[in-house]
Amino acid sequence: MSPGLSYVVVKSHALMADLLNPEQMRALAEQESLEGFIEYLAGTPYGRISVDTEGDASLALEKVFYQKFIERMMAIVDLAPAKIGDFLQSYYYLRFEVINLKRIIRGKYSGIPVSQIVESLIPITPYRVKNYEDLVEAETFQDSVRQLEGTPFASLVASLDLSEKYDALWPVEIALSHLNTGSIFKSLERLPQRDRGLVRRIVQAEADVENFLIAVKQRGARDRAHSPKEMFPATYGITLEMLREAISADDIRSVIQGLNPPYNEILVPLYEGDVALIRSRIRQHIYDIARKGRTVNDFGFNVVMAYLVFSEIEKDDLVGIAWGKTQGIPAEDILKYLAIPESV
Amino acid sequence: MSATTGVRPTKGYLMEMKRRIGFIERGTEFLKLKRDHLAKELTTSIDVLKGRRSKLLEDLRIAYRAVTAAYISLGPTEVKSQASSIKSRLELEVLPRSVMGVRYPYIKVEKEPQITGELDITLSEAAEKVLGILDDILQLAEFEARAERIADELGKTNRKVNALENTIIPSYRQVIKFIEDKLDEESLEELVRMKLIGGALARRRE
Repeated sequence: MSPGLSYVVVKSHALMADLLNPEQMRALAEQESLEGFIEYLAGTPYGRISVDTEGDASLALEKVFYQKFIERMMAIVDLAPAKIGDFLQSYYYLRFEVINLKRIIRGKYSGIPVSQIVESLIPITPYRVKNYEDLVEAETFQDSVRQLEGTPFASLVASLDLSEKYDALWPVEIALSHLNTGSIFKSLERLPQRDRGLVRRIVQAEADVENFLIAVKQRGARDRAHSPKEMFPATYGITLEMLREAISADDIRSVIQGLNPPYNEILVPLYEGDVALIRSRIRQHIYDIARKGRTVNDFGFNVVMAYLVFSEIEKDDLVGIAWGKTQGIPAEDILKYLAIPESV
Repeated sequence: MSATTGVRPTKGYLMEMKRRIGFIERGTEFLKLKRDHLAKELTTSIDVLKGRRSKLLEDLRIAYRAVTAAYISLGPTEVKSQASSIKSRLELEVLPRSVMGVRYPYIKVEKEPQITGELDITLSEAAEKVLGILDDILQLAEFEARAERIADELGKTNRKVNALENTIIPSYRQVIKFIEDKLDEESLEELVRMKLIGGALARRRE
């Protein structure tokens, strides 16, 4: 039985102390080497991490950071009241499962070895599918998708026609993203009305920016551009009309300037063609939403959600730093794309 | 050992030697022409390489920054997963080409990867930047191989010309001079002998 919301809130407050602060994150990015990074991390709540020196250390570290985040998330889910626990499980597990399904389908589509596909999966137990092994072992990517019939991902099978029509994988990937967003909104119903706003703002911001970036990508294609209705099955703050304009307009600046805040600020790096910077800006924006959510209600669900949002952004930043350190990338080039050091 | 050791001082051998030196001198002239042409080609190639290399290094820096940003932003596993979804891979064919008989590789792009549909825009931008300089990278590699082989051949040709001009031709000239001297000496001896015989015959008739 759950000890109740108050306990999870107090626990979340306490666990926030385990999160890395912007100074620590900056110090990690400024370490001279991967060894220095691991050594510094040993002095944080992450403790000493042993990484196999053979193979790609950044991939091993990525797995460690994912594992740590999943542990943190599960610790909260186990303590949370049933409705909040269900929602959080659905929110995170479904998201990770969608990422895993995308990786399986991509792997099957290009015919890479099964072991490589398995290696790329996020280490979670299957959430809405029976197991990943059957999907990975399927003959073709269409077979993998068809195996999803009878699961909440059954609607993906319909996207195969479009995939065949364009001889591409994006219809399946878009259908998966759409299904993920739709499921999150549906699972929001489990939360009390007052707690829904924070999650809705986060999910909408993510989906809007993703939609806009897809539209920008279609600009180069112009005549070959796919139908906006097919590309954007769901739109939120950035409407389908705005996305159409983004595809067809000669000057993307005027389209971005015409968007409402915060999008007209988040998407500014597009002027210089630095798309990766938009992702760190959207992460900063989500970090900000969670922080503001806490100021509105520091004794309820918002605290729990903020803890998990901060924790996930920390994981993403650490994955980026770890890769940068294995490649010997200068600290300033890494810091530019991190969310936490810039969020203060 | 002297160049004249074992030389037969005959008119036939002299004619053969003269024929050979004429042939060698013509060959040397051709080699000199080849050397000059290769030197010209090498100078042009080096000038082109200098210009292209610095431009390519700048373009590579930009492309590498985009790839770095994609990795930091998406994470290495996601980048690898997305990259693996590119079905149409880069296909190249290496064909031989030749300048003044110097063979060098020519790289022909048979098929370029189609990156438009499948990649996230961050990765797609990085991939487009790399793909945009792919032709330049291949051309530079081709030029570098070409310059390297021309320089190699220029060195060889130069050594051949030097050997011909400083060793082979002088030794042939020495042989020819030796035979001509010998033949002159023999014909002088012959003349003296004829004179003596002529004198002896005249005295007998008297």
